[in-house]
Amino acid sequence: MAFYLTVSLAIAVNSIAVLGTFMLTGMNGLFSLGQAAFMGLGAYISAICVVKYGFPLPLAILTSIGITIVLAILVGFATLKIRQDFFALATFGFGQAVIGVLTESINVTGGAMGFSNIPEYTTPLFAFISLAVAIAFVWGFRRSHFGRDSLAIRSNELAAKVAGINVFKHKMIVFLISAVFSAYAGALLAFHTQYVEPAMYGWMASVTWIIIVFFGGRDSLTGTVIGALVLLALPEALRFTAAWRILLYCVTILLIINIRPRGLFGTWELSINPLLRLFKPKKQQEAK
Amino acid sequence: MVKPVAIEIKNITKMFGGLCAVNDFSGCLFENHIIGIIGPNGAGKTTILNLVSGIYPPTSGEVLYQGKNISGLEPDKINHLGIARTFQNIRLFQDLTVLETVMTAYSWRASYNVLETLLSLPRVARFEKESREKSMRWIEKVGLAEQANVIAQSLPYGMQRRVEIARALASEPRVLLLDEPGAGLNQSEICDLVDLVQMIYEELSLSIMLIDHRMDVIMRLCQWIYVQDFGKSIAQGTPEQIQKDPIVIKAYLGEEVSCA
Repeated sequence: MAFYLTVSLAIAVNSIAVLGTFMLTGMNGLFSLGQAAFMGLGAYISAICVVKYGFPLPLAILTSIGITIVLAILVGFATLKIRQDFFALATFGFGQAVIGVLTESINVTGGAMGFSNIPEYTTPLFAFISLAVAIAFVWGFRRSHFGRDSLAIRSNELAAKVAGINVFKHKMIVFLISAVFSAYAGALLAFHTQYVEPAMYGWMASVTWIIIVFFGGRDSLTGTVIGALVLLALPEALRFTAAWRILLYCVTILLIINIRPRGLFGTWELSINPLLRLFKPKKQQEAK
Repeated sequence: MVKPVAIEIKNITKMFGGLCAVNDFSGCLFENHIIGIIGPNGAGKTTILNLVSGIYPPTSGEVLYQGKNISGLEPDKINHLGIARTFQNIRLFQDLTVLETVMTAYSWRASYNVLETLLSLPRVARFEKESREKSMRWIEKVGLAEQANVIAQSLPYGMQRRVEIARALASEPRVLLLDEPGAGLNQSEICDLVDLVQMIYEELSLSIMLIDHRMDVIMRLCQWIYVQDFGKSIAQGTPEQIQKDPIVIKAYLGEEVSCA
């Protein structure tokens, strides 16, 4: 039981970071290969604040998010006005630079050996509530004008500008939100695994999140959440197959991308309307 | 009596490397007027519109809107000032319905910030409802009420053009720039379109700058016409004057004369 709880906690927290990628890459078409670096920043900064400086947990998380926002603003100013393919390259460079700094500043971070002795603060309940709030946020975001603006910019940036949308400001907002999601997830994860090392936050993690978004369907929040649950759980579920699991994982993804190019769920969204419709006839009968 | 000027273009020039797309163009759009810019392909008509709508800054010269210099401003800022446009090659948004496409024009006016969307405050819902209702009115105006919830890009070409016009009108502009609204349309669609432009011009008392290379569109709508050829302005005048101008006939209607 404890094993399942531990695994599902890690999946829930990672899903928050995937939701950040969903907003940035799925909705806005911006491929960031440095998303995991924000997770690293969140993890390291909050862990160091607690272990070395004795910060209380909320303050430590807020500090890490604050520093992440400042860095993300700088990165955003440097990258969000350039073309989307260059954006991917620039964020890749940023991500690897963060890894470099974390690895080299041995006195503060412990270098490649990692940073340990982090207290275990993250409870499953805390993780699940965080994920629920994150989902609610993305849901509200998509229903607002920000959601329409995202799709407009993704499909025709010039037309969006001419329609009066401040494209740079919009992209900056989305970039900051996705960075905060990532950093927050990193902090929660650090206080769960109790140990962090730079290699956990390389570009491979960023790519994994992008794969998950396209697997579930970049136009479906439901798809992204379920995709995250499935693909993050799959390596654990396939553990008994040992070396075969990487192959099975890849085959699953390839199958989905080939059979359903718009992702597992396409544009389908979970909605309570069909449920409500189930109850409607009953009410009418009662009224009679 | 001096008529109020909506847009004054002063000696704008646009160079792309060594190519001079627009050479020293000057022109004036009075309030509540329709002017046309005509000329053969490559005459620099669309470039003039792009300079006015801020898609790129002029190499030299300036564009004045209500007396203020707007050249060099970003397209979204120019839209906020009250200048909206459509595109020759229709630029709609993939995956958005007609209604959502038109609603994007209201986004920048939104009074709520991104954190308020989480709480779904009544302010958010009120703004959304308001912009939906206003957008619906523009969609009805261009005659697409029945298609409001259809994905815009799945509509036939003529209707897509109307969606673009509705999106431009939803910016609630004072000046409307139409870039070849008749391009790609058949004769009856063009007639409907001319009627539509005439109708919105009269109802909304807009100032319209129109580009087309189809004489029938220009002649029916415009009160004043500028003729461009190879980036240079070669003539201007009323439709009657332009039709008789020998320079214009040579540059633009030349083939017809040689046939006669």
